Amino acid sequence: MGEFEVHRVRFFGLVPAGVRCLACQPRGSRLALARTDGAVEVYNFAANYYQEKVIPGHEARAVESLCWAAGDRLFGAGLSGDITEYDLSRLSAARAADGGGGPIWSMAANGTGTQLAIGCEDGSVKIFQVVPGGIQFERNLDRRKGRVLCLSWHPSDTHIAAGSIDIFRVIDIASGQTVQRIMVNYHVEKVKRECVVWAIALLSRGTVVTADSFGRVQFWDWQQGTLAESHTVSTSAVLSLAVAEKEDSIVVGTSTGATYQLQLLPVKLGGSEKRWVRTKPFQHHSHDVRAVAHSPTALISGGLDAQLVIRPLMEKVQKKGYDAVLRKFTFPHRRLVSCARKARLLLFQFSQHLELWRLGSTRETGKDGEVLPLCRMPEHLVQLKSKGPEHIYCSCVSPCGTWLGYSTASRFHLYRVRCDGVSLRKV
Amino acid sequence: MVAAGALRVVRCGGGALRGARAVFSADSKYLLCASGDFVKVYSVTTEETLRLMGGHADLVTGIQLNPHNHMQLYSSSLDGSIKLWDFMDGIPIKTFTVGCKLLALYTLASAGDSVFVVIPKKGERDTFQLVSVKLTKGAGQDLEAKELSVVLDGVGASPKQIAFGREGEYVVSVKEVNLQVYFFKRKLLNRFSLRAVKTKGGDNQFSCVACHPTEDCIATGHADGKIRLWRNFHHRKEYTYSTLHWHHDIVMDLAFSVEGTRLLSGGVEAVLVQWHNESCQKDFLPRLGSPIEYISMSSDGALCCTLHTDNRITIINSNLRFSRSIQGLIKSRDVKTGLVVDPRTKALVMNGEPGHLQFYCLQSDQQLFSLDIVQRQYIHEAGLKQSDLVKVAFSAQGTWLATVEEREEVTDPELELKLWFYEEETQSFKLNTRINTPHDNHITDMSFRDMGELEDDSLILVTTGRDCVFKVWVMVEDTDPEGKYAQQSVSWSCDFVGSYHNYQATNCCFSEDGSLLAVSFEETVTVWDSVTWDLKCTFCHPPGNIRNICFGRLTCSKYLIGATDYGFLCCWNLLTCALEWSAHLNIVVLQPDPLSEHIAAVSWLSKESSLFVFKPNEPQPIYIQRNLCKEKILLAAFVPRDEPETTGSEKYLWLRRSQLLFLTDTQELMTLSTKPLEERLTPSSKQLAVEESLPVTPFSVLLGKHRRQQPQEDTDLGKLVVHNKHEQASPAVRELLHTPAHVLPSASFLCPIFINSLLISKENKSAEEVANEVEMESEKTEDDSDEEGDVTEMEQEDTSHMELLGEVTCKLSKSQEKELRKIRKMDYSWISAF
Repeated sequence: MGEFEVHRVRFFGLVPAGVRCLACQPRGSRLALARTDGAVEVYNFAANYYQEKVIPGHEARAVESLCWAAGDRLFGAGLSGDITEYDLSRLSAARAADGGGGPIWSMAANGTGTQLAIGCEDGSVKIFQVVPGGIQFERNLDRRKGRVLCLSWHPSDTHIAAGSIDIFRVIDIASGQTVQRIMVNYHVEKVKRECVVWAIALLSRGTVVTADSFGRVQFWDWQQGTLAESHTVSTSAVLSLAVAEKEDSIVVGTSTGATYQLQLLPVKLGGSEKRWVRTKPFQHHSHDVRAVAHSPTALISGGLDAQLVIRPLMEKVQKKGYDAVLRKFTFPHRRLVSCARKARLLLFQFSQHLELWRLGSTRETGKDGEVLPLCRMPEHLVQLKSKGPEHIYCSCVSPCGTWLGYSTASRFHLYRVRCDGVSLRKV
Repeated sequence: MVAAGALRVVRCGGGALRGARAVFSADSKYLLCASGDFVKVYSVTTEETLRLMGGHADLVTGIQLNPHNHMQLYSSSLDGSIKLWDFMDGIPIKTFTVGCKLLALYTLASAGDSVFVVIPKKGERDTFQLVSVKLTKGAGQDLEAKELSVVLDGVGASPKQIAFGREGEYVVSVKEVNLQVYFFKRKLLNRFSLRAVKTKGGDNQFSCVACHPTEDCIATGHADGKIRLWRNFHHRKEYTYSTLHWHHDIVMDLAFSVEGTRLLSGGVEAVLVQWHNESCQKDFLPRLGSPIEYISMSSDGALCCTLHTDNRITIINSNLRFSRSIQGLIKSRDVKTGLVVDPRTKALVMNGEPGHLQFYCLQSDQQLFSLDIVQRQYIHEAGLKQSDLVKVAFSAQGTWLATVEEREEVTDPELELKLWFYEEETQSFKLNTRINTPHDNHITDMSFRDMGELEDDSLILVTTGRDCVFKVWVMVEDTDPEGKYAQQSVSWSCDFVGSYHNYQATNCCFSEDGSLLAVSFEETVTVWDSVTWDLKCTFCHPPGNIRNICFGRLTCSKYLIGATDYGFLCCWNLLTCALEWSAHLNIVVLQPDPLSEHIAAVSWLSKESSLFVFKPNEPQPIYIQRNLCKEKILLAAFVPRDEPETTGSEKYLWLRRSQLLFLTDTQELMTLSTKPLEERLTPSSKQLAVEESLPVTPFSVLLGKHRRQQPQEDTDLGKLVVHNKHEQASPAVRELLHTPAHVLPSASFLCPIFINSLLISKENKSAEEVANEVEMESEKTEDDSDEEGDVTEMEQEDTSHMELLGEVTCKLSKSQEKELRKIRKMDYSWISAF
C-alpha cells in the first residue's frame, strides 16, 4: 500500500434542498420527488431505489405538487401558476400551461390518468384533460373562497375532495357542484387559530380522511357529514398523508419529523367491523415531513431536512434481502465535486454558482491517523455565478486546472482559468 | 406444643396485600383482598374490614368471583388448594385439593366448571405452566381436583403476566420478551417476541398484560415504562402494535375499563394514568403515596382500586377522583423505630410511609394518623439516599415525642433529633426543638425518664450514640420573653455527656422510679445516678456485647435484665451488685410489660422463634412457647388493654392487663390470644347485607334506590318503635348511618324520622297507631314525589300495603320475615316491568 494524504474538506457548504412532494407512479415502479428548489428527481423501485433521473431546478419554478398521468407522463404544478410537463428523456421541462387561477397549491390526477385537477389560490378547482402532446383546459368546478390546499379524487372518478382552511368540501364531478361542505374546526373548543387541512384523501367507501394543523387525522363520512373517528396523532400539525392502494393503511407525516402509520384493523378477530388504529410511530426526520407516499411494501417519507426515507413494511416483505432494509437518502446522489488532480483544485457545484478551491498542503509526514500541520491553508480561488434562472445541471474542471465547464438545461459554458493571477475568461 | 384451649398465635394486622389483584363484589359494595393467608372483605363505603376469611395454610395467590354465582369466591393458595367461599357469610363451601403450588387463579364464564391456575412445571425449576382444573361436583366439603390439562407452557409466575381475552376466546401470556396468544376455539398458538437488546435505554421486557373487554386488543406493560397495544395478533406476520409512553420506570399493572374505552396504568411513580381510547390523551391521578402494585376495576365500572406496595388500598371513582383509602398497617421498607405504644391513644407507633410516623389502631385495624417527621418531599429514585426516621420515644404521658432521623450514609450520617410537643388544641404533635447532629455517629437508643406523676422539669431524655457517649437532654425555660417565640417557653438542650472507656454506647434504660439510668457500652452495663450523674456500678457478662437491657418493674425493680450477643440472658441484682441468674438463650427481643413485672423475651434459634415470659425474681419462666411462628420475629410490644381480660387460667395471668404483639420480618402483626377461634371471630361475623338481585342499569339503580329508601325508612320507624328498648343502635339506624350521604333524602326530611326513632315511645302504643303513622309517612312521601308519575305512586301504595303486612307479622321469626322481604322484592320487579 502506498501512502496517502487525506484532505479533510470542510469548506463545501452545500445546503441540500428539502423534499417538497412525492408522487408514486400508480401501478408503476417509479417515484417522483420534487425539492424546494424546484428540482425533480425520479427513483426506480425496481432497480433498488436507484436515482434514475434528475431534472435541475429553475428559479421561477417552485413545484408544489407532482403527479403521474396517462401512464408515465409526469406533471408538476407550483406557485408560479403553471402546470409543467416534464420531458423525462431530455430531463427538462417540456411544456407549460397556465392554470389560470393564480398560484397552484395542489394537483391530482384521476384514477385513469386522463384528467388533472388543480386547486388554486383563488379557491377554484379546475379540470384539465390530458391529451397527447400537452394538456387542455376542460372546465371549472364550483368555486368557493379560500385557497385549495389539497385535492383527492374518488377512485371511481365521480367525486373530488378539496381541503381548504377550516373546511373541506366534496365536489361532484358530473355537475361540478359542491355536494358537501364540512367544517373541521367544529369540535375544537377554543377556535382562535385557523385549522388548515394540509392533506386529504377520499376513500372508495365514501370516507374522507383529513390531516390538519391541529395534529389530528380525522375520518369523515362525507355523505352524512359526520365525523367517524378522530385520532390526535401529534401535538403539532399533520402535514401530509398517503393511503395504500388497498386502503387498509395510511401514513401521515407531522411537523415534528415523526411519521405514523394508521391501519384498518378488525375490532374482533374474524369480525367484519373494522376500525382505524394508530399503530407504528417512526422518527426518522429532524424537521417537517412535507411529503409521504405509500408503496405496496414500504412507507416513504421526505422532509425539509432533505432526507428521503424508505421504511419497508416487514409484514409485506416476503424474504429478507435488500427490500427489507431501511433506506435513508441523506446526501445528493449526483457528482457535485470535481477534482483537478494535477493542479490540486476542487470545483464545488451549487444550485446557481460554482466554487473553485485550492487544497491545503503540508511538508511533513506522519504516521497513520495523525493530523499533519498545514503549511498552506486551503484557498478559495473563484466563485462563479451562473447566468439565467436555470440551475446548474453538471460541472467539471480539467485535470490541469485550466479549463472549467458547466451546463444548464439549455446551455453549456466553458471557462479558462489562469491560476497565477486567478482570473477567468469565458471562451 | 401447648395443649388445646391454650394460647394461640393470631394475626391482627399487617401482612402483604400483594398476593393478587383485589376483586370487587358484583354490586361494588365490598372489596375482597388477598392478605397473607387470608382473604379480607372490606366495605367500600365505610372502609371497615368486615370479614377475615382464613383457612388457607399458605399465602393466598389468587381470588376470583365465581362467574356463575357472584356471591361466591374462589381463592387459590400456595398450599395447593382452591377454596370456594360464600363471602357474604364467610363460610368456606368447598375445598379442592390440587396438590401443587398454585401461583395464580383465573376464572372464565365460558369455561364451565373449570378454573385456570398457574403451577410450577414438574421436574423443572422456575418454569411454570397454565393449566385448567376441572372442579368436580361432589358431595363433600373436601374434594380432590386432579383433572389438569395444560393450556400454556412457559408462562410467568406473576398473576399479572396472564390475561384472558374477550369472552374468553384467547389467553395471553407474557414472559421476558415473549408474548404468546392461545386461541381456544381454533387451538392456535401464536408467539411474538420483541428485541431483547436494550436499545436507547429501552428495556423491552414485559411486565404485565391486560386484554380489551370487547375488542381484540392486548395491552402490555414493559420494564422501560412503555405500554404497547397489540392488534391483529391472529396473524403471525401482519400483527401490529402501537406504543404509549408516559411512565419512566416499569409499568406495574394495567387495567381496561369495563367498556374498554379507557386504559389505566400504574407504576412506581405512584401516579395512576388514564389513557383515552388508546390515544395519547391521558389524565393523571398523582400523589397516591406509594408505588402501585395492582389495579382492578369493579364490574359496573363505577370504581377502581389500586393496591400499593405498602399495603394501602385506594378506591378511585370512575372520573379519576380519589374516593377513599383503606390503610391498615402501612408497610415500610424497614421498621427502624421499633414498636412503640403511644401512651395517649394506645396506638402502635412505628415507621409508616417514608419519613412518616404511623399511628396504628389495633382495635379497628386502621391507621389513625400519619405524622410527617422528616418533612421533605420523597423522591422515588433508585439509589437515592433519603432521610429516614430511625428512633422514636414517647414521654410517659405522651406529651412529648422525640424522633431521630438520619440520612443513610455510611461515613458521615446526617442526624437530626426532633422534639415534638402534643398540642391539645390541634390534637397533634407540634415541633418544639430541632437539634442538628446531636451525636457524631448513629444514635443507637433513646429513652425518656418515665416519671409520669412528677412535674415537667423532671423530664429527661437520654440518647446513646456510636460516638461513645450518651447525652442527657433537659428542658430549659426560654429567657427571651418578648421574642417572637414568646409563647413557646421551653426548649431542649444538652445537660450532661457521659462516656465509659471510649466504648460505643448501645442501649439505655431508666429504672421505674427514674432514679437510675442503665447504659450499655458494648460488653458492659453501667448504672448511673440520674440526679448527680455519678457512675454507680458496672456489670459485665463476657463474652459478647449487650444487645438489650431493661429494668424490672414493681416488685422486681431491683433487678436489671440484659441479653448479650453470645446468647446469654442475665439478671443482675442492683442491691447486691451481683449476677442473680443467667440463662443460655439467643434473645432477639426483650420487652418488659409496663403494667406488671413480667418480661417477655423472644429467642431465635435454629430458624424458630420461641417466647419466654418470666419474672426477674424467678429464674424459671412462667410461660414458654416454642415455635411461635415460622417467620422471624423482629419486634415486640406490650399494649395495655382497655379493660383487663377475664381469663380463667392462672397460667395466662400475665396477659390479663396487656396484650403482647409481635412484628415479623414480613411485617405482619401477631398477638397471643387465649380465646378460642369462634369467640374471637364473633364480632366480625355479622351477616352482611346482600343485594340479591343486581341492579342492571344506572337508571334502575336510581329508581331502585328511591324505591328501596321508602320501605327502608318505614321499616326503620316500625322496627324502632318496636325495639327501641334495646340499648345498642338498631341495625336500621346503623344502616342509615352507613349509607353514603349523597344517596339519602334531604336532612330536613330525615330528621323527624330519626329523632322519632330515638325517642322512647310509650309501651302501650298499639299496632294500629303504628300503622297509621306509617301511612301518614308514606302519604308525605307521595306528596314529595308527585311529579314522578303514576307508576311510582302505584308502587308506593303497594309499599304501604306491604308494610302494613310486615307490621302485622312483625312478631314472626326472622327467617319468615326474610322470606317476606324476598316476596316483596319480587313483587317490585314484577311491577316495574310495566
